[in-house]
Amino acid sequence: MENLVYIALFAPFVGSLFAGLFFARSPKTHLVGVVNSSLIGIAFIAAVTLALHVAEHGAVHVTMMSWISAGDLSIPFGFLVDEVSVTMMLVVTLVSTIVHIYSTGYMNHDKAYNRFFAYLSAFVFSMMILVMSDNFAGLFIGWEGVGVCSWLLIGFWYHKEDKTFEENPSISPSWAANEAFIMNRVADLGMLVGIFLIYWNVGSLQYDVVFNALPHLADGLLVSIAIALFIGAMGKSAQFPLHTWLTDAMEGPTPVSALIHAATMVTAGVFLVIRANPLYSLEAVHGVSMFIASLGAFVAFYAASMALSARDIKRIVALSTLSQLGYMFAAAGLGAYWIALFHLAAHAFFKALLFLGAGNVMHAMDDELDIFKMGGMKKVMMGSYVYMGIASFALAGLPIMAGFYSKDAIIETAFNDGSFIIWAILVITAGMTAFYSFRQVFFTFHGEERYKALGFHPHDMYKYVLVAMAPLAILAISFGWFMDNFHEFITKNLPDYEMSHETHHLAPYLGGLVIVLALTGIFIAWKKYAGKGANAWKRDEEFEQSFIYKLVANQYYVPRFYDEFIVQPYTMASKKFWEIDKAVVDGFVDLIGKMSYKSGDVSRGMQTGSLSAYLNWMGVGALLLIVAAAITALIG
Amino acid sequence: MDYILSILIFFPAIAGILGFVVDKGSAKAYGVSVAAIELLLALGLWASFDTTNPGMQFTEFSPIISQFGISYNVGVDGISLFIVIMAALITLLGIILLRDDTKNMKNMIVSLLFLEMTMVGVFLSLDAIIFYMFWELSLVPMLYIIGAWGGPDRVYAAVKFFLYTFAGSLIMLVGLLAMAYLFHLESGIWSFNLLDWYTLKLTTNQQFWLFLAFFSGFAIKVPMFPFHTWLPWAHGQAPTIGSVILAAVLLKMGTYGFVRFSLPILPDASVTFTPFIMALSLIMVIYTAMVAFAQKDMKQVIAYSSVSHMGIIMIGVFAMNAEGLGGSIFLMLSHGIVSGALFMLVGVIYERTGTKIMDEFGGLAAVMPVYATVFGVMLMASVGLPLTIGFVGEFLVLLGFYKVSAIGTILAGTTIIIGSVYMLALFKKSFFGPVRHEKNLGLKDLDRRELTALLPLVAIVVWLGVYPKPILEPIDNSVKALLVQMENHAQLESTKEAIIVSKKEVK
Repeated sequence: MENLVYIALFAPFVGSLFAGLFFARSPKTHLVGVVNSSLIGIAFIAAVTLALHVAEHGAVHVTMMSWISAGDLSIPFGFLVDEVSVTMMLVVTLVSTIVHIYSTGYMNHDKAYNRFFAYLSAFVFSMMILVMSDNFAGLFIGWEGVGVCSWLLIGFWYHKEDKTFEENPSISPSWAANEAFIMNRVADLGMLVGIFLIYWNVGSLQYDVVFNALPHLADGLLVSIAIALFIGAMGKSAQFPLHTWLTDAMEGPTPVSALIHAATMVTAGVFLVIRANPLYSLEAVHGVSMFIASLGAFVAFYAASMALSARDIKRIVALSTLSQLGYMFAAAGLGAYWIALFHLAAHAFFKALLFLGAGNVMHAMDDELDIFKMGGMKKVMMGSYVYMGIASFALAGLPIMAGFYSKDAIIETAFNDGSFIIWAILVITAGMTAFYSFRQVFFTFHGEERYKALGFHPHDMYKYVLVAMAPLAILAISFGWFMDNFHEFITKNLPDYEMSHETHHLAPYLGGLVIVLALTGIFIAWKKYAGKGANAWKRDEEFEQSFIYKLVANQYYVPRFYDEFIVQPYTMASKKFWEIDKAVVDGFVDLIGKMSYKSGDVSRGMQTGSLSAYLNWMGVGALLLIVAAAITALIG
Repeated sequence: MDYILSILIFFPAIAGILGFVVDKGSAKAYGVSVAAIELLLALGLWASFDTTNPGMQFTEFSPIISQFGISYNVGVDGISLFIVIMAALITLLGIILLRDDTKNMKNMIVSLLFLEMTMVGVFLSLDAIIFYMFWELSLVPMLYIIGAWGGPDRVYAAVKFFLYTFAGSLIMLVGLLAMAYLFHLESGIWSFNLLDWYTLKLTTNQQFWLFLAFFSGFAIKVPMFPFHTWLPWAHGQAPTIGSVILAAVLLKMGTYGFVRFSLPILPDASVTFTPFIMALSLIMVIYTAMVAFAQKDMKQVIAYSSVSHMGIIMIGVFAMNAEGLGGSIFLMLSHGIVSGALFMLVGVIYERTGTKIMDEFGGLAAVMPVYATVFGVMLMASVGLPLTIGFVGEFLVLLGFYKVSAIGTILAGTTIIIGSVYMLALFKKSFFGPVRHEKNLGLKDLDRRELTALLPLVAIVVWLGVYPKPILEPIDNSVKALLVQMENHAQLESTKEAIIVSKKEVK
């Protein structure tokens, strides 16, 4: 089994090196796409085999070699494949394989095809380290690794110039990439502090050692560790107030958005909370867990509200990702770790599908993102229409679909926990989710064919790409059917979450309420946006001038706030400090230099060469000495 | 192997003297050969170094002025071994990177070889007078390199560099003499032998004043805030090779001085001064990182970032535990490699375009992809990405410092944020976006000479990031020995408490 662990881990790395070292100089080599996709596929097969093995024989734990040892600290490269990590491995490798295949089509005409695959495979490698590591430092390797790959990939089209905020809220790919990296680093500092706290109080960073030691630690310390680690999670999973980078990350190529900014990397924070469940389920940190759940519910609603009026097809999907991450945190915060993980997996499948579908639309529309310019495209893009429809149904949580099982379980958890405010927010958000998802679908594929007037000639994606997307569609529909199997598998590792009998009989009604709300949302969207001819959607200019619309359309002015109150003051202060450095700090040094120079200059006047002048000075000197002696004598 | 340390110290200087008679055209080849042999000797030293022995090895001792206890006394331990190897490596790569049309190539090579002697000498000396001699002698070739091959303000910059550091060193010399005098009072014999000094128990008052005297020499060299202003000038005017050696090796003399002198000889004062050092270091870390962000000149960004990173090293030195101190020694090495490479990279683009202003570039990633990749690797190492050399030291320092101060660690930890702010801003301005000047479209990517100098550094960045053990282990052994020595030597109970060799023993 050990070999399989290494194959799953290193196959993507081999791919990255293959593309990066041997083919970086040529723009496009078809072989690179094939080889890299196959290598990720091999990693997926290894992960499947490992999953079967884990189900039967339990976790596999390997230690490759030692990494850092200094003082008492000893960090190995150790990898743990248990129920939790193997689930993540399956999700990551499956979605990655499909995204790799998809990219061979999507990036077909790009000038830097090989470079793209080098980065994409490197990302998968980092993500595998993140989920497979058996200690917090190893997790941090992956954590930073995915950060860098994300930076490289968001800024993939680095040649684009900076625009003003009004023209493009993300300014430029390279700007968005830097924003993502720096904002994540803010959170990483929290994570590092958590690691330091663990080390100095436990003496090890290995998961098993740390989790076994938790009961012996003081309450206040546990709370600090829980907060610090969660700050780390907030960055990667883009929780408020560190969320703005995620929507801006849409500047990257769409396969990147599908893989990194929807299915995998952004779930790293949720994964961390799930991984550290022995910590977060302690009574002492209940407050932190409740905060996580509340923040999750807030973000779910907050992001959904912005998605209601967004016009950019990728931003809508990004905001829905943000919203769904909120659901996952709500579940994890309430102690339903396995449900959070289940929703994480289900979400990965249907969200990747949704993003790749959106990518098809963009590809067809020459990278146009504004849904106001689309409409009626189902005629020309039937395949993508079906896929996006399936993904949206799953996202809206309609019966049979994957999202129905996972999201409903989260909503029921909130009710069961007695957190009715969180419950109410999640229910309302579910209705909003259905509305904005189908608003996007109807805007794009139904209604008047607005694109024609603008001179677009859309056509659907390559056939093989559409076929490659099929597994995601199948899983978006059917993944929920395996909920019981998943439950049985995962609760060997994660704590079970039992619905209490007092509320469980209400579940059908609660579920029904959610379905009704979702259907209402879809219906309103249908009414407003799917009509043709006389019923066709018209722009409501008046509404677009209203305060509430502007507030939402400007992302609640949070990016503006960051610019005005963080970026600009920091830049100003930096410039001021530089001036101070030159004028005051260095000025003082120069002053000392000048003074000694000047004093030499002045006293040069004494050296006239005339003997009588020297005698005079000697007299002055003697006098001074006598005075000095007299004073000392008087004092002494 | 008996005289290997002396050979290491004096071979470059002797070769340098012989270099005067070498033909002008083959001066560079001669320099490369000498530096390569020196590096091989240093690697040979490592090969025969006993990594399990934390003490001084290959020691040589011969009295010079016995009535004053001045002797030629050298030795190497895990702390100095790798700095010496790094100095030899950086000198070699720096010489390789010299352009063939450098004017007065012969003088340059001779200066560099002399400089190499003084650098190796400083790190191997175990006698205070010998240490001081090498310390001061190192100024001369650097003064000459800046003054002769520098930019328009080179004379001002060179004189400033010389006088500023010289002034500090003189106060340090007074401290060294006072130290020998105190040793004489105590034991009746004169000695400048460091290992003798380690046995001397000084009162806290004596330690206080000696610490200040040493501090003025070391702090200016590091350079600590607010004594850092000579550095941007020196870097701004120095030729590439000067900046590379200055940042990679010469600055480390200051932090090395703290480790070799202040900590073990003056343990109580070191602990007393810790809050003061911490405050200055935190200002260094944050303030200079912000100043780096405000720069328009690429080289100045790297120069100020050097100061910021030296702040992290200082924090680790005064963390008083094996993690922090070991981490700071490792960080000295990694900063040497990374800042050396970054200054080389700035030199590469300056040679091509004649400017270092970032706004003049833009879009270089498309024009010079290999250059951009190497720069990107060094950038990531500079911001401390795991699996690069930059992470190991920074992580250990912050980890160690956390034991001292949680708030301080959070403040120092902002380096991972603001460090990436100025580095990513630099990268974006220079490498991303459209190419701003048409003439930059035709820029040539790295050539053979440049790749020969840079690729070894890339390899080291990755190798020691993934597998730092061969270096970390000897460092760790010597660091623990140093801390034990401090603990045994300390007068105050509070000092002993502050020093943590291993928390397993404490519990």
